[in-house]
Amino acid sequence: MTSCPKQIVHLMHEYLDGEIEEATKKELKLHLDTCADCKKHYAELKKTIALVQSASHIEAPAGFTAKVMALLPREGKKIGIER
Amino acid sequence: MDLIVQRRIRQVLKGDQNAFGEIVELYKDKVYQICFRMLWDRHEAEDAAQETFLKAFLNIHTYNVDKKFSTWLYRIATNLCIDKIRKKKPDYHLDAEIAGTDGLNMYSHLSSGDQLPEEEVESLEVQETIHQAILLLPEKYRSVIVLKYIEELPLQEIANILDLPLGTVKTRVHRGREALRKHLRHL
Repeated sequence: MTSCPKQIVHLMHEYLDGEIEEATKKELKLHLDTCADCKKHYAELKKTIALVQSASHIEAPAGFTAKVMALLPREGKKIGIER
Repeated sequence: MDLIVQRRIRQVLKGDQNAFGEIVELYKDKVYQICFRMLWDRHEAEDAAQETFLKAFLNIHTYNVDKKFSTWLYRIATNLCIDKIRKKKPDYHLDAEIAGTDGLNMYSHLSSGDQLPEEEVESLEVQETIHQAILLLPEKYRSVIVLKYIEELPLQEIANILDLPLGTVKTRVHRGREALRKHLRHL
């Protein structure tokens, strides 16, 4: 892949961010169709994203809101520091 | 959701604390998740998430109602976490592997007697590898990756949250993705 222009990897990222222009998108697609290394690089990026997105979503611990409410200054006190 | 939040904020400003409880309920999971992915420690994440809401409550009068509330709130959370990372472990990402294995991991919240089916163990191992890869990212890349791929926020909103130019956010997402690719491509 060292022989490929750095620009190609940049285009992959633009594409992944949904920010690529039509003309450059064609350029990227054409390159990926002909260059196995870049195609692999792109596939790895796609896989990486899918893996990161699969990181299981977690929830706040039980009783979280009650704990926060207990931390608040008592009602009646003024809110804010400078007022 | 925004309309409800704006109404609750007005109630909080008038001194109604219960209304703040509803705001906490709405955002607690998102805020806790940002903190957990940034700090990778359940106790630290809970502390940071609580602190985020306390700070939001104390500074609610500085929130500009014309802007998105979540942006303001997530900014407090990410700044708090970045501060914690910098203060506690200046070279956090360098010893991440030690911190990760020594801290709480996906296994530790399963009760000890549980027998796991093989594919679940495997998927936990994959999860562990993903978390390690995220944790190995320097904090400036970690925050954009967490906001983009775990919280699924648009790049412009991430720029607003982190108070960075859009171009900088894009560069960090690109570099963060490349760094993650190096760790995850063999999975």
